[in-house]
Amino acid sequence: MIELSGVTKRYRSGEEWLTVLDDIHLTVAAGEFVSIMGPSGSGKSTLMHILGCLDVPTSGSYRLFGRPIERLSAQELARVRNQEIGFVFQNFHLLPRMTAQKNVELPMMYAGVPRRERHRRALELLGQVGLADRAHHLPNELSGGQKQRVAIARALANRPALLLADEPTGALDSATGQEIIDLFLSLNADGMTVVLITHDPDVARRARRIVRIQDGRLVTGAGEEGRP
Amino acid sequence: MNLGEMLLSAWTAIRSNKLRSFLTMLGILIGVSAIITIVALGQGGQAAVIATIESPRLQNTIQILPKETLEPGLPQPDQILSFSDQDFQLARQFSGVEDVYYTLYGQATVASDGRVVNAELDAGPQYLNEIAHFTVVQGRMFTDADVLAHRRVVLLSPSLAEKLFTGAPRVGQTVQIGGQPLQVIGIAAPAQFNLLGSFLGTDYVYMPATTCRDLFPWWSISEMDVEVKPGIDKVDLGNRIVTALNIRVHDSNAFEESTRFYAGLEQTIGQVTRILTLVIGSIAGIALVVGGVGVMNIMLVSVTERTQEIGIRVSLGATQRVILLQFLIESVLITLIGGVLGVLLGVMGSLVLRAVTGLPTTVSGWAIAVSLVFSTFIGLVCGIYPANKAARLNPIDALRYE
Repeated sequence: MIELSGVTKRYRSGEEWLTVLDDIHLTVAAGEFVSIMGPSGSGKSTLMHILGCLDVPTSGSYRLFGRPIERLSAQELARVRNQEIGFVFQNFHLLPRMTAQKNVELPMMYAGVPRRERHRRALELLGQVGLADRAHHLPNELSGGQKQRVAIARALANRPALLLADEPTGALDSATGQEIIDLFLSLNADGMTVVLITHDPDVARRARRIVRIQDGRLVTGAGEEGRP
Repeated sequence: MNLGEMLLSAWTAIRSNKLRSFLTMLGILIGVSAIITIVALGQGGQAAVIATIESPRLQNTIQILPKETLEPGLPQPDQILSFSDQDFQLARQFSGVEDVYYTLYGQATVASDGRVVNAELDAGPQYLNEIAHFTVVQGRMFTDADVLAHRRVVLLSPSLAEKLFTGAPRVGQTVQIGGQPLQVIGIAAPAQFNLLGSFLGTDYVYMPATTCRDLFPWWSISEMDVEVKPGIDKVDLGNRIVTALNIRVHDSNAFEESTRFYAGLEQTIGQVTRILTLVIGSIAGIALVVGGVGVMNIMLVSVTERTQEIGIRVSLGATQRVILLQFLIESVLITLIGGVLGVLLGVMGSLVLRAVTGLPTTVSGWAIAVSLVFSTFIGLVCGIYPANKAARLNPIDALRYE
């Protein structure tokens, strides 16, 4: 599903070029649950942005579902983000002036799903993450764990094949973090491909496969040290 | 995402920051309401001036005047200032003439029971009310018979009656004008708005032209009014009468038909009010432009404030086009709502102005349409730069923005 080969990302910082990702080779098959683990500044967020089609590599190639991403137009990339990828962020990134239900509806709105269908599906998804009774609450009326559940429901709205989570437990206490990871695990059990980025070894260990990243390089490549 | 959803989303954004949205649209609101009011005032004023010159009866009337009253300058010694009975008889003989009449106008002292008031005297035929613009509110107008018989009857304006008599009834009382007793047969209110009236005060006396001549035989008849029958070419008839008067009676070119003069005057007044409206309207237009700059400024602030929101939306699949439209629609909606509120305020303002000052204001659909189109246009022009800026944000920077 995901094929990165020789992906390099450089930024210009004044006179110098800063290499953030250096010759990354990574393959993720459909149905996998992969943790990308590394300390802050290791380049894992940049990797996540490239995987999520929010950024493009300086060199190397990224194929998602067999398609070379660098050849897609801005419009096609927007469609990929909308239809095929679900994002979950550390700080939830819910729109503050919209209710939980409206937040979940947003990706469907961009996809052109009719209003009635949107309502129905948003309520169904909120039910799935255990928030059926919070549909009409604004984000600031929800706890951190509840916000992240709304964000996950939103990520699932257009039935993507790939879920990308960037430090999804970073802003949560450890018990709530566990619940969120459990939710990812159950989604993965139903066939969802999950790529989770974290700096927390306890969180990373719950994935089937851990990829370590340090100074922009993958350290253990396709290391298989996750849970069996 | 269809247009309806975008409108709804823009409306939500505007509503979620009510005070700021209102302050943003205030500039547009004030500009539009000023334009609507000024144009209403200009058009109403113009219409009123033209109506005064061109009342329905006057449209069928040829006015013949001594040349000197039409052509400014020192009067020549041999020029004729006043029409004689002979002139009137001559004019009446032309076929196609319905009636020939004259009006007299001057200052007169009106006295009753020791009270003395200076008033404007208006004298004319039995349909003087249509020429001098007044309405009989009590009693009756003088009639054909009153005019023929030189009857000593008058109508007073309400303010004059108030000054002369303490109690009711005022109709039926007697007043002294030019040392002669006249009977008050009615109370007549001058038209609410009269350009001349506003300079000349509100104390009026109306009486038959014949009576007036008896009282003030030395007043000159400086205008002959010839009412033509329907379907008659009034310019042609006017020229023939003028020629006859000049050659046969006075052996000179003392008189001139005044249609051209009035048409020219009307045109000039129209031009003057149009220019005035345009000038003041342009000043109000500047307010609109300033309002537009305010909208642009706030939209830029709004884009910066909502940077993270834009990043989130992009990550959820919003295209550049959708982001651009979102901000553009918001900007247009702000200026359009400002425009609509401005139109409402302007219409209200001109109605209030009419009620308070009596100036006739005419709110034109044309002014409303132009205001609304222009506010939309300002929203588009001032929204495009901020919206474009929003659409071109780098999603990663936008997501990181706190």
